Amino acid sequence: MNSKSIPKPRLPPNEISRFFWEAAREHRLAVLRCDACGTYVHWPQVGCWACGSERLAPTELSGRGTVYSFTVVHHVFNPAFAADVPYNLAIVELEEQPGLRMLANVQCPNEAIRAGMPVEVTFEEREGYTLPQFRPVVEGARE
Amino acid sequence: MKAGREVAVAGVGYSTVSRNGSLGVEQLAVTACHNALADAGLAGRDVDGLFAYSFGFDSPDCHYVQQALAIPDLAAYADIGAMGPSGLGGALAGVMAVSSSGCETALVFRAITQAAGGTGSFRGGGGAPMGAMGASLEMTVPFGYAPIIPAIAMMMQRRIDELGGAIEDYGHIAINARRWAAMNERAVMREPISMDDYLTSRILAEPLRLLDCDYPVSGACAAVLTTAERARDLRRPPVLVDAFAYASGLRADWIQGEDFMFGATRRCADRLWSRASVTARDVDVAELYDGFTHITISWLEALGFCGIGEAGAFIDEGRRIGPGGELPLNTHGGQLAAGRLHGLAHLVEAVSQLRGEGGERQVPGARVAVVTNGHGPQCGALVLRAE
Repeated sequence: MNSKSIPKPRLPPNEISRFFWEAAREHRLAVLRCDACGTYVHWPQVGCWACGSERLAPTELSGRGTVYSFTVVHHVFNPAFAADVPYNLAIVELEEQPGLRMLANVQCPNEAIRAGMPVEVTFEEREGYTLPQFRPVVEGARE
Repeated sequence: MKAGREVAVAGVGYSTVSRNGSLGVEQLAVTACHNALADAGLAGRDVDGLFAYSFGFDSPDCHYVQQALAIPDLAAYADIGAMGPSGLGGALAGVMAVSSSGCETALVFRAITQAAGGTGSFRGGGGAPMGAMGASLEMTVPFGYAPIIPAIAMMMQRRIDELGGAIEDYGHIAINARRWAAMNERAVMREPISMDDYLTSRILAEPLRLLDCDYPVSGACAAVLTTAERARDLRRPPVLVDAFAYASGLRADWIQGEDFMFGATRRCADRLWSRASVTARDVDVAELYDGFTHITISWLEALGFCGIGEAGAFIDEGRRIGPGGELPLNTHGGQLAAGRLHGLAHLVEAVSQLRGEGGERQVPGARVAVVTNGHGPQCGALVLRAE
């Protein structure tokens, strides 16, 4: 995933989302979890989508999940990705909670992606930040 | 619906609609509003409500249009932002305002100018986006995501994987749009297409093709809403608003939403039918949002025209939804072929059909229409009927 000429876009983190990027820099995957009802909430936001409590705190996840759906992008929506097409984009459902989803570029050939594929987090170093990504779980390779 | 005053559509109007228009968006908006008022036999001085859907930077606001139409004062108005239920959002707000006596006569419009060749209508207006849009973009843009085509593509993929949908199901929606558009002089894409054209059109994000996408245009349309009582004294036969509904769904977001494949269409449809005096079986003409073919398929199933996952069989290779079919669908050509006016043109077309003014594409004896808008967390719908 290299497009050397134009840096990959990133929105500036804010006080609500900063924890996510700080955890990623330490190669940890974290999302907000509600202290009141235990529900995980993502994207970062100020209230729990299940109970409305504002007692949300960053919590580390296992980093394991499955591919919920995916696409292979051929169109250049942003010139920073011109050298990357065709690239895959997948929704990963995390094992902690049904419907808790993240986006990722699964680190495997585009043709290999399938719905239901087990994946685990990996971290991509980019200029100025670390991006959580996912890769296929290789059977027997996990400790 | 139980509460409030009965509301009717008393007039509809368009500006010019073109693929590369030279008129500015302000002129388009004002022209469409003038034409809708003229259709109703009204003038700016008769209006006391104004509702506009826009992305906040791509259309004149209510105050601009108020001045241009010499509307003396607004008893109710709203500039509805990007995350509203698309262009139908103005009409839904207008219905609520008239029904609740917030105003007597509401004008609603959507005006948009878009060059051909772009993908997606949301281009950002400068500055960091806030709220739901900002939270989502921060976590998706670094991966090469851009609203909203890749999300729709992943919904299509999920439909194929989970429900056994066929890519040709989508193709029939695209083909159907051109069949109807051939009979609509205002439509921008009137040449017929074949399944082969569809299947060989450029892939943007698998399995989504160029012909799954609506067509960007420059244009505007508008509608006049007032009480049914008042509408009966106006120039045109009133078209009654039988029911309306919004829905956003739990975890209101295009990716995190509780119902990824259908967005809030199922909640919206259930709410709509629970309020309507008619059922899906009574519908003579369906104007279902088609910003993407997947959206139309979702609404067909959500509204109960067929079971979940059965749209392909229901469409019957286009026979059921085409001219002469049992459920005429998007009879102006929809946004796929008539151009993207963000759903308000679907309302205008339904009104035209229920007044029997469809000309060559008129559905004989059309009395009941359903109009739906949006997908994801941005759903809205109306049932309209002739008096």
